[in-house]
Amino acid sequence: MKYEVFARINQGDETLHIGNVTADSDRLARMYARNTFDEEDWDYLAVVRREHILEVKAETPGVI
Amino acid sequence: MDEWPDPAVDYMQAIVDTKLILGHRYGQWALAGPSLEDDIGGASASQEEIGHVRQLASRLQAQGRDLEWIHGDRDATEFANAACLDSIDGEWPTYMASTAPADRAAWYLLDAIAIEDLQGMLTKMGEDEYFHLEYHDARLETLAESAPDTIQAALETTLPQALSFIGPATYDEETDPVFTSGFTDRSVAEIREAFIAHYTDLFEGTAVSLDGVDFDAPDPDTWDEARRRVGGGSISEADLRQLRGTENKLFEIN
Repeated sequence: MKYEVFARINQGDETLHIGNVTADSDRLARMYARNTFDEEDWDYLAVVRREHILEVKAETPGVI
Repeated sequence: MDEWPDPAVDYMQAIVDTKLILGHRYGQWALAGPSLEDDIGGASASQEEIGHVRQLASRLQAQGRDLEWIHGDRDATEFANAACLDSIDGEWPTYMASTAPADRAAWYLLDAIAIEDLQGMLTKMGEDEYFHLEYHDARLETLAESAPDTIQAALETTLPQALSFIGPATYDEETDPVFTSGFTDRSVAEIREAFIAHYTDLFEGTAVSLDGVDFDAPDPDTWDEARRRVGGGSISEADLRQLRGTENKLFEIN
């Protein structure tokens, strides 16, 4: 499964998308993210399954 | 406690030796993982283990151990590492089932140390170890699905070896010399219970059965207190040369 990785360096900063990892489980994805993006002392680091991201976009309105 | 009792010095030496060989094994396998993320994790863990060795070795030096000896200037049979790290004969699943129990056992022994002036250092090491152990468990969970027979067969060897590294079940609050000296705040028997419970829970409901694991190991009558194992065995001479950097000394610039 693909996971998108988000992080911020300091509390109050914007949380930014910093990359992605591929993992067989949510638990493993958390560890992969920590190992792979270890260049900063993150205040916050999170992973989100790519399939759970909901895109917001204009769509054709339905008609009755 | 300025001067540690002899059993406590041996106890710390076994932890340091296990971390030294763990760092070596992580480094050896850091380019052999099934994914780039596994490789990066191995390289990161290798650096952290060697960092822990440097910190703990200085404490052993303060107790009279020679630093060069600690760093590898000795015979292979003088190392007191967990026996499941002596050699890893197999592929990635076997490597995971060998390093994971050794890393967890070493942390449990370290976490039990009650010496006040070590607590800050141990807290920092614990932050590193959280990620090592969580990664191992996450990986073993996935391997329990994809390679259950290999994991089960490896654990039947490595879990008793890790238990031998922790110590015999007969070392309880009345008989464990490290606990009774005040160096640790829990006995070997208590550490073993936590270790066994962890792996029992981890594999419960998976295709990996631990029914064939000898959870009574080691036999206290044949257990080597200094090397924390039974039956001899050691890392190889090739491992020792790598640890010492023997071949690399040829390239040393004076």
